[in-house]
Amino acid sequence: MSTNLSERMKKRLPVPYTDSLPEEIKSNLGKWADRKFHGGGIIEHISEKGDHLFTIKVGSPPNARFSSNTLRVFADIEDKFGIGTLRFTRSGNVEFISDSLEKSLLIKNEIEKMGFHAGGWRNSLWSIGSCTAYLSCTTAVADSSSITKVLYDQFGKYFTDEESIPAKLRISVAGCPTACGGLTSDIVVVGHYGDAPSFDPQKIGLCLPRSAKALEVAVPEVVMVCPMKCISAFKKDDDTVGIQINREKCIACGRCKDVCDYITFDTTKIGISILVGGKSSNTGRGQNLAMVLIPWIPISPPNYREVVAVLQKIIDMWKGNAVAGERLADYVRRIGLREFQKALDIPVTRWNNTEFVSSEFGIRQFPVR
Amino acid sequence: MTVNDKDIAISDKGAKILEYLESGKWPSHVTEIKKTKYPIRAYSSGLAIGETQWYGGSAKIRYVYTGFIARRTKDGKDSELHFRIYHPSGQFYRTEMLRKILDFSDEYGLGLIEVIGQTGGMIISMNPERADEAIDAIRNLGTDVGDTGDTYRDFASCVGPALCEYSLYDTLQARDHYMTYEPIYNNLSNQLFPFKVKLKFSGCPMDCARASHRADFGFIGTWEGSPDVDWGLLQDKIRKDDLKIERLIKECPSGAISENRESGGIKIDSEKCKKSMNCIRYAFPAIKPGKNRKVALLAGGNIKGRFGPKMGKPVSILDDYAQAKEFIMKIISIWEDGSPHKDRIGDMLFKSGFSKTVEAVSSSLPTEIEGHPTGQQRIIASAVLTDEEREGYSKWVDNIVKEYGE
Repeated sequence: MSTNLSERMKKRLPVPYTDSLPEEIKSNLGKWADRKFHGGGIIEHISEKGDHLFTIKVGSPPNARFSSNTLRVFADIEDKFGIGTLRFTRSGNVEFISDSLEKSLLIKNEIEKMGFHAGGWRNSLWSIGSCTAYLSCTTAVADSSSITKVLYDQFGKYFTDEESIPAKLRISVAGCPTACGGLTSDIVVVGHYGDAPSFDPQKIGLCLPRSAKALEVAVPEVVMVCPMKCISAFKKDDDTVGIQINREKCIACGRCKDVCDYITFDTTKIGISILVGGKSSNTGRGQNLAMVLIPWIPISPPNYREVVAVLQKIIDMWKGNAVAGERLADYVRRIGLREFQKALDIPVTRWNNTEFVSSEFGIRQFPVR
Repeated sequence: MTVNDKDIAISDKGAKILEYLESGKWPSHVTEIKKTKYPIRAYSSGLAIGETQWYGGSAKIRYVYTGFIARRTKDGKDSELHFRIYHPSGQFYRTEMLRKILDFSDEYGLGLIEVIGQTGGMIISMNPERADEAIDAIRNLGTDVGDTGDTYRDFASCVGPALCEYSLYDTLQARDHYMTYEPIYNNLSNQLFPFKVKLKFSGCPMDCARASHRADFGFIGTWEGSPDVDWGLLQDKIRKDDLKIERLIKECPSGAISENRESGGIKIDSEKCKKSMNCIRYAFPAIKPGKNRKVALLAGGNIKGRFGPKMGKPVSILDDYAQAKEFIMKIISIWEDGSPHKDRIGDMLFKSGFSKTVEAVSSSLPTEIEGHPTGQQRIIASAVLTDEEREGYSKWVDNIVKEYGE
């Protein structure tokens, strides 16, 4: 117990970062000169001093959730065959580090015995990022963790290079339109309500000021957060506050639900949207946000057969038509979202439409016939 | 059905779903969770009902205002509390340190760890009753809880110089530098902003830290001019058939590479180069990033903002990552003063006009970004001029008049 509790307000940061590095890396900081890919998730890092280090990339369970037991076994394996250092990548994979190819293969062997897989480099599936969803999130609509699990079961073959794909592929799955999984993946799956909200009339008061007098000086948060201005607050006869929701204008973003647990949705209309063409790397056609390919498809847990089938279709289409080394995002940008939708015969509505723009005037604004 | 029957039906359905999620080739999160003290009932009934069972809960830990999140289930039977722990830059863990964290997680928590959350921190599920003492325990391990609420979050960096040969500046040091920069450090505990603030550091244009999309202020390593070519090495690679010039030319997304027999194969047009890293990745180390290294600063990126997801916009090319401090603090103070709750910095810039706001405070930065002139000007065919402006135009027209004689 610290004697002075207010000390807790001064955060204790794990700095400098060099304290967490092993000697093998510290002495080669910034001196890496080349790398070699050995397949199956193993990379050799070669420093200008002639040192060699190997990283073995291991895929995590969905949402990067590990029990302390499993991580303890990982630490044992790393101590036995590696240099005693593990790294967690920003995409949620775990990297073991060792100093020889033989030991790296032993590590790979050990983790495979545990049911884990190594892979995810070069032309393969690098990761399926997932948010927390039903595991601890209050705003989740669909359970991204279980969607991620079935997607990994199906597409793990691209992670381990069992089957080849034209280029790197990144998928992210988010349980709600907040899209904590990010929108710069080649394929983005986002759970959403597919409908406008209503509210629990008994409990909504907990999210509103008690007296209508408050409306004269401030806007309730649940009203304020709506980006479409479709929630309004009014004074009720008994001087309390009520709200009204304009369902026509709603985009089902769920921000009202973010700030108030008593906004409710019809759960039978829950579905997912699928976006394609996102990329966080400046390679190829550059960085870009993903675009809405399909605004809604139904989901059926626990096998989510619709999501799996549609993603397989998208990947097959990419595999069949991409130039070697062309990422899905670059392929979609090259042919255009509209063409991609046409090729898959996807119904186009106002939610996944792409607008035509022209910087010209007069007759030149019309398509050439 | 009685209430009890309904509960049993949900629990049966949930158990079946869990069983399904434990099958299959990929390691299952359910299998991992079952090895821990996490209340799996909350998850399984969520899956059975098709709705998350968690509501926002509340917890109080003395003198700790960021870094933990409390939840309770809708039926009030379970509660959960998790810590978000700062990673060291680069997320490297000596096994000795990792074991200490695992022991911590078993002793004070549920033994369940999300090794890296989407926000960047390590997430450890806790036992709510021991949360208070756990704070001191985690602080004794040399790290702390943080990374929640309307304040500075856990900044992120790519692996940088620790393992990557492309890294153009020390991204790990940069993260440490900003985390410990006093005006930022002093406020890690205070939720004083309209929403969260994130900084991310990527060492090269491949942007592994996703600095352009997921950070309010993104730093991306870059260089000026064309990539640096080692002609001898390049010739070697060509001779050994390791590398095909045609492929180098054809695959350059910027169209900046052309054939040039005199200089040894190729010519790279620095004006065209968009830093896609294509030739560098193909021909490394014969082609490397240019020697004149810089850091590109972007602002306003986010996923979660009032006006939806945004990519960061260009602010300046810095000589050094530390140059952005004054700019960042000025932008934050404008945002803090005028923005409603849940508006990200990107939203503020979007509303107030990106270039107008950035220009007003960017005097501390080395270069200003020149965009393309728009083809469609905002047209006001009349003007209210200052005396100075009037004088400028008069002078110009006088010259024209002189040129053509009175």
